[in-house]
Amino acid sequence: MLQCIFLLSDSGEVMLEKQLTGHRVDRSICSWFWDQSLSQPDSFKVLPVIASPTHYLFHIVREGITFLACTQVEMPPLMGIEFLCRVADVLSDYLGGLNEDVIKDNFIIVYELLDEMIDNGFPLTTEPNILRDMIAPPSIVSKMLSVVTGNTSNVSDTLPGATSSSVPWRTTQLKHSNNDVYVNLIEEMDAIINSDGVLVKCEIFGVVEVNSHLSGIPDLTLSFANPSILNDVQFHPCVLFRPWESEKILSFVPPDGLFKLMSYRVKNLRNTPIYVKPQLSSESGTCRLSVMVGIRNDPGKAVDSLLVQFQLPRCVSSANLTANHGTVDILADKTCSWSIGRIPKDRAPQMSGTLVLEEGFEQLHVKPTFQVGFKIMGVALSGLKINKLDLKNLPTPVHKGFRAQTEGGKYEVRS
Amino acid sequence: MFTQFGTTAENFSSKASTMVFRIGTDAHLYDDPDDVSISPLLDSKFDSEKCEALKRLLALIAQGLDVSNYFPQVVKNVASQSLEVKKLVYLYLLHYAERRPNEALLSINIFQRDLGDQNPLVRAWALRTMAGIRLHMISPLVLVAVRKCARDPSVYVRKCAANALPKLHDLRLEENATAIIEIIGILLNDNSPGVVGATAAAFASVCPNNLTLIGRNYNRLCEILPDVEEWGQIILIGILLRYVIARYGLAKESIMASLLTNISDNEKTGSESDTDFLEIKRTNEIGIQERELVAIVSRSYLAGQDKYLSHQNNSDGISSEHISSRFTSSKNDENVKILLQCTSPLLWSRNSAVVLAAAGVHWIMAPVEDISKIVKPLLFLLRSSEASTYVVLCNIQVFAKVMPSLFGPNINDFFISSSDAYQVKTLKLEILSSIATDASISVIFQEFQDYVRDPDRRFAADTVAAIGLCAKRNPQVAHTCMEGLLALTSSKYINSTSGSMGDEAVVLIQVIASIKDIIKQDPPSHENAIIFLIRNLDAIKVPMARAMIVWIVGEYNSIGNIMPKMVPVILRFLARGFPFESIEAKYQILNAAVKVLLNTKGGDFHTAKSILCYVIELAKFDLNYDVRDRARVLRKLLSCYFSSNGLEEKTNNNELQLLLAEHIFGEKIKPSTEMINNRFYLPGSLSQIVFHAAMGYDPLPEPCSLTESDMVKGLEGPSQAEGTNSDVDSGSFNEEGSYYSEDSVTTSTGTDKESAANESDNNNTDSLINFSDVGKPQEEANDHSDFMSKGALESWLDDNDNPGSSQNVAGVDNNEKISSARISIGDISTRIKPKIYTLLDPTNGDGLKVVYKYSSEASTISPSLISVDIFFENCSSHQMSKLLLTDEVSELLDQGSSLESQKDGSIFVPMEEITIIEPGQTIKRVIHVHFHHHLLPLKLILWCTDQKHPVKLRPDIGYFVRPITMNLDVFSQKESQLPGMFEYTRSCSFTYHLAELGNDDKDGGVSSTKDSFLIICKSLASKMLSNANLHLVSVNMPVDANLNDASGLCLRFSGEILSNSILCLISVTLDGKCFEPLTASIKINCEETVFGLNLLNRIVNFLGEPPQLTS
Repeated sequence: MLQCIFLLSDSGEVMLEKQLTGHRVDRSICSWFWDQSLSQPDSFKVLPVIASPTHYLFHIVREGITFLACTQVEMPPLMGIEFLCRVADVLSDYLGGLNEDVIKDNFIIVYELLDEMIDNGFPLTTEPNILRDMIAPPSIVSKMLSVVTGNTSNVSDTLPGATSSSVPWRTTQLKHSNNDVYVNLIEEMDAIINSDGVLVKCEIFGVVEVNSHLSGIPDLTLSFANPSILNDVQFHPCVLFRPWESEKILSFVPPDGLFKLMSYRVKNLRNTPIYVKPQLSSESGTCRLSVMVGIRNDPGKAVDSLLVQFQLPRCVSSANLTANHGTVDILADKTCSWSIGRIPKDRAPQMSGTLVLEEGFEQLHVKPTFQVGFKIMGVALSGLKINKLDLKNLPTPVHKGFRAQTEGGKYEVRS
Repeated sequence: MFTQFGTTAENFSSKASTMVFRIGTDAHLYDDPDDVSISPLLDSKFDSEKCEALKRLLALIAQGLDVSNYFPQVVKNVASQSLEVKKLVYLYLLHYAERRPNEALLSINIFQRDLGDQNPLVRAWALRTMAGIRLHMISPLVLVAVRKCARDPSVYVRKCAANALPKLHDLRLEENATAIIEIIGILLNDNSPGVVGATAAAFASVCPNNLTLIGRNYNRLCEILPDVEEWGQIILIGILLRYVIARYGLAKESIMASLLTNISDNEKTGSESDTDFLEIKRTNEIGIQERELVAIVSRSYLAGQDKYLSHQNNSDGISSEHISSRFTSSKNDENVKILLQCTSPLLWSRNSAVVLAAAGVHWIMAPVEDISKIVKPLLFLLRSSEASTYVVLCNIQVFAKVMPSLFGPNINDFFISSSDAYQVKTLKLEILSSIATDASISVIFQEFQDYVRDPDRRFAADTVAAIGLCAKRNPQVAHTCMEGLLALTSSKYINSTSGSMGDEAVVLIQVIASIKDIIKQDPPSHENAIIFLIRNLDAIKVPMARAMIVWIVGEYNSIGNIMPKMVPVILRFLARGFPFESIEAKYQILNAAVKVLLNTKGGDFHTAKSILCYVIELAKFDLNYDVRDRARVLRKLLSCYFSSNGLEEKTNNNELQLLLAEHIFGEKIKPSTEMINNRFYLPGSLSQIVFHAAMGYDPLPEPCSLTESDMVKGLEGPSQAEGTNSDVDSGSFNEEGSYYSEDSVTTSTGTDKESAANESDNNNTDSLINFSDVGKPQEEANDHSDFMSKGALESWLDDNDNPGSSQNVAGVDNNEKISSARISIGDISTRIKPKIYTLLDPTNGDGLKVVYKYSSEASTISPSLISVDIFFENCSSHQMSKLLLTDEVSELLDQGSSLESQKDGSIFVPMEEITIIEPGQTIKRVIHVHFHHHLLPLKLILWCTDQKHPVKLRPDIGYFVRPITMNLDVFSQKESQLPGMFEYTRSCSFTYHLAELGNDDKDGGVSSTKDSFLIICKSLASKMLSNANLHLVSVNMPVDANLNDASGLCLRFSGEILSNSILCLISVTLDGKCFEPLTASIKINCEETVFGLNLLNRIVNFLGEPPQLTS
């Protein structure tokens, strides 16, 4: 079980420590961790499980904040990691993002949350809905109130009813004047196009997000027109397994507000909506680069927020790149990013220019990989279609809404 | 250098905007936690100020500062009604309680009050904190509290009760162990899935091997599993798996069956059952190729794996039957089926740890053909979060090694994207190379070609190594691999020497190493490759790579048709360039020359010999001493070749040398099989990730180690556990009494003091009777019987740390029991000198000296008041007048409201005013005070000639009691009624007697042993009575005491607390030699826990302080 949790800022400063068991962990472990991660930047910082001389460390990094947990005994490492992820989720939800300042400013809330979330190194209450009822998130109103009256308590006096309910994710006795429920399909497309221009891998990772504001304890069923295309799924705990096993129907009592009902994966797609064609040719110390981008299969909606990024190889000493559409930036870490935005109707965007190689290099022998980001609103590229959403146990009529969007995930084009 | 990079500026505006949002948060508290004084805030009457103070303290804790010195002040606030204050106090308490046990005890009464609160949140917090402060002393109280909360109507409180059990267990108190396990049994039976989940965690950390507990509820636990919270699921899955294996054995359709098939392989005499044979055939079809590896992996999952290993070698028929009897069928056995059924929907969980745990169960128990079920969920996890990707891949790697076919159809899930971390990339490469098949290898190679050109050259080198591995595992593709690798060596960029090419060198070296590995598999078929390398030798400049190529030349000098012809030419070429080679290459040239010489016959022999001579000659004058040494060694070794007479005059000596040389250089290496990493741990475990068994790692239990009889044995207890469970449902609290007595009936007599303690809670009848029955046989009645007291009994019962062992002592040898005699030490009242405290120092009080001592006489006004004798002495040369002591509070307020103030403050009966005090005169006055707390000083004001002197009257807890007269029998009886949590012990060293003993010696008197005992007793008694208002009940001395051994000397004192007349019994037992410092162990029996402990501390304090040299 976890013995201690530390929150480290992006400069390695220990912002918070929360001892969990009687086996106190000295915070010197953090400086050990930080020294090690500075001395071996690539191999150390990314390893989520580290055996230090005294403890096993689990850590995740979220928006510059390192969440570090220590243990000395055998425990499922994924449990530690998942818990830290959950802590990070809850904190960023409470504080509206994560950074050093926001954690220091609300350290009392962080302490109170941690105390509710974990007891004796074992997770206690991680359900965001219950936590919200126990510890009020900081809001503008409560802040103003505290300035005016100098009195603030964010600790609730009563135990949330959901702790004892059979649907712990749902606050009991909810009342909304407008009952509405929105279902969003948010998909990410992962693709790899190899140096021959062949699509070697193309798949969709999708999330069914539900934003529900419903009174009472409603019973929802959601069905898809084509569930057979789903390769694999993961469910929110509210989804009942039986109906899915037998009929591929999602039956659930939703938590209030926005939540991830399910995530899914659709494999082996044949097409990508866009093409990105990089070309490199090098001779006598310089390398000509040109990248062409365009629509391959029109998805029916506009392709937006198009962004092409790549890392300049180390042997490049300078680069001169221009585009006929959009802007080209070269960042300090030698990342070149070409933001195109929306693809114009009349011409195909193109970026071209030369890379000057360091002395001694005749040719560019390594090939950069181009990462492509895009966004298409209104389309789920996987082709998944929602059939219908039924609601039971609701007194008033409900407004239902559906949306879909697709983004570029790990979409890579090798040159 | 890169002027054009770094154009985008840092966004500073975000910093400014956050400043606005910091208003109203606790930002200022974190930034300057100690810019105001915290103490007054803590003592404030307003909750908001207390909150602020506590927040400041927490900020200091967060920043790593030690603020434990505020502990007493913080603890006071535990009684606050405000939940926020409570919460903050708890946070502080939990951080420091262990370091400040004495003060932490002050909070216990409040916790106990809160445990009875209406609000379940308050109950839960009190329980969590009380258990969390982890003090041995209060563990009985915590146990009672947990027991109570385990039957709380609120699910949340019951959950917290389950979480409190590991905290109790952490204290490692043996007497609690059975009670804890019993509560786990109750909670496992709970109706709420949330409680069951938390209890599973408690089970796993408290008694992971007590699987009978699980057996009782197995089916119910399986059914409830999908509803348990995700964290509980992770643990519960593991527990259920262990139970099934221990109870029903392994499934013979699963991969663990490899243990079985190995056995049948060995004993294959044709008599084995057909089904077994079919199993083997089937597993082969399904694609477990590396059977040996499977066996190693399955063995390493199990406890006592050596048994299976030794068995494999010996093929011992009997035990093999024994082992095969340990298998069950996952298709036919209902229990295994239920486990698989209830875990399979968990593969859809959003929590990666749950998925991996469920996959682990299927991996170990499911029939081989059904394992594929876990593939998709596992691969889905790769997309969940970056941190878990690595852990999941580590586990997939093992699965893929054991069963490559499992992931074979999903190769493109392991294709590497440039955003992957380096570790993830290498793991994916390894997995790819182990699941590659003939069909998929071409696709994989296509991928690898892209990887080789990756800007990360380290990764490119790893890819090259992976290509080598692929070729090794699939010999059919070796030639394809070779072609690709050779193409890499010749490509221009990799050999360009200019520039900083360190990265490229790494790749090239790896390329040659991979080629070397492939050649090793089947040298003759790769002759062309070798020749290709040789041709390119000129272009390859990297020393390590060159050295390896030279090694290849030497090693395979006689392979095929062309090589033997080429070798002399190459050697000559190398020899000519020898001085300009790198050291590594020089070594290899020397070696290669020797190998060639040993291999060649006929015409080429002389060429080879002369080349070797030439090379050795050159090496002799090399700059590097290692090269020179090697040349010298070779020369000696091969001296026969260099002797002037040639080979004709072989002597015996030469034969030997030749043989030696042949052995060293001539041995042909065989294609090595892959090194198997033997360290496999259970899937999903920490140990599997760090590659060593982490503390607390437990392999699966031995199959079928849990027998029917174990289960029956385990079931004996639970009738009562189930009985109590009905209490849970009805939610009745007032059945405690009946519950406890039931408990004491079932636990065998006298097992532990603990149960006795709980019992006596409710019925004060006979808790110690067990002991006296066992420990005091009748025939002991000899002439000492008059002096016999229960003290002897107690003296070994005192040792309450391990009642079990003391029980043994009693059982084994009754005759060695210490009996004791009583000593009368006469009147020691003259020796009692109450300690005198200073109230006002003459230097501060203009020559007025005020001292006080606590008087042993009870107050005449009210029994709850303490009378203090105060002595005023005028040390100055002038007269003083109007001396008066008043209460600070009453001074602040008007006379009219002084009554009100007396209610909350201390009651202070003012003394009569001293009108005049002459110089040198001393006047005594008696005041009566009521301290509202037995540790905090009372603030008074001393008036003297209209001058105000603030003074502090320090309470002495020793005078908060009054003596109560009783004889030894009554004492022993009362004492026996106050066991367990009402009994506290501490030890200190006692040196007070040494001075007196020394004085006796000086006087010249022959100090007899009796005397020295007496002196010790007297000094101890007077010390005690000088510092506390007690009655000396008896002084007991062991009868068979040695001359100088004061061990066993026991003094008993009695008293009752002034305020509430609660009895307080004190026994001091000495240990050690007379003329050395003794160890005094003080035991207090008192119902008022906090008071007792504080009194105990006080006694330890004054007994332990060094004696003041009076004369």
